[in-house]
Amino acid sequence: MRELEARRQKTEVNSPVMLLLILLSGFLISCGSGKSSDNENVQSRLDNKELKYFSNGKRLFTQYCSNCHMENGEGLGQLIPPLKNSDYLLDDVARSARTIKYGLKGPIQVNGIEYNQPMPAHPELTSLEIMELLIYISNAWGNESEVVSLREVESALEEQ
Amino acid sequence: MKVLRTFVVLMIGLIGLTACQKENQGKLPILGRQEYKEVNGKLDTIYHTVPSFEFVDQDSMVVTEATFEGKVYVADFFFGTCPTICPVMKQQMLRVYERFRENPEFAILSHTIDPDHDTVAYLKDYSMRLGVEDNTVWHFVTGDKDAIYEIGSAKGYLVPVGEDEDAPGGFIHSGAFILVDKERRIRGFYDGTKAMEVDALMNDIPKLLAEYEGAGS
Repeated sequence: MRELEARRQKTEVNSPVMLLLILLSGFLISCGSGKSSDNENVQSRLDNKELKYFSNGKRLFTQYCSNCHMENGEGLGQLIPPLKNSDYLLDDVARSARTIKYGLKGPIQVNGIEYNQPMPAHPELTSLEIMELLIYISNAWGNESEVVSLREVESALEEQ
Repeated sequence: MKVLRTFVVLMIGLIGLTACQKENQGKLPILGRQEYKEVNGKLDTIYHTVPSFEFVDQDSMVVTEATFEGKVYVADFFFGTCPTICPVMKQQMLRVYERFRENPEFAILSHTIDPDHDTVAYLKDYSMRLGVEDNTVWHFVTGDKDAIYEIGSAKGYLVPVGEDEDAPGGFIHSGAFILVDKERRIRGFYDGTKAMEVDALMNDIPKLLAEYEGAGS
């Protein structure tokens, strides 16, 4: 009986704390931006090493690319082409190694729309960094692609 | 005990309700240097205002301070070939545009800081590609380079703009969105590269417009 009494008191003390926690977590969720993850699926498709490249690639993307191509990979109107669901990117992932390293000038077609905004070159990026970037952009936001290899990146960069 | 618990839960609820809102009360501040003038023995405050200007927009229309008469507007500075923060700024400004474009008391004024490259024709192409069909609400202006830098400076919108060989793309400029009232006074600065700050801007625009409600005309 005394034990029961003690337990009752305990729950009485605990319940406001619990309520507080529940309420607080509710506010946190309602105040959050509700962004969906950009790597659903990736966990199961890539192995550990590839996931490491993917997350390094994400960091590089934020630093070098997301100002123009946007964090969600959707680009900007008809000014900056999307990377998400981009036929130009996904048809030939290694080709974009050259675009990243040497930049791009002149019009290109992406998903049937012509874009004509120059892309700056990034000569400071190493082949490994470019590979990580490519693994990220070709597998984020619902994109699914074969994981590009360092050899493929290097041979694309050597093409004249 | 029960009363106390109810009280605690109610208090938490109240805190929670206000947690997502910034302070909504009161008018927006009037920014910039103020001067005081004595008129009939009383001190009058003279606020900083954006001086007169004359630029040309993407539809070849001459844009002056008169274009914004009876409107509150948001100003910013960018350039078309900008490799850094401009696309994000334009993505964020598009949100503001979509939200307020139907309001006849609202406008946007985007100045290029690279008028040699960003001609009227270029700005038309640029704005169309962004999805802005015409200049009804959003003016993309070009003009005399010195005049653009001057309006950006301490004489105008109080933000840094200019040429700089060392900066990416050759220009430095602020990522600020500047909120201007109908008296051409500056009422807010917001970082146009951050969605949260642009949310605050979109929260402040109706507040600023509300100041004019019931003021007659």
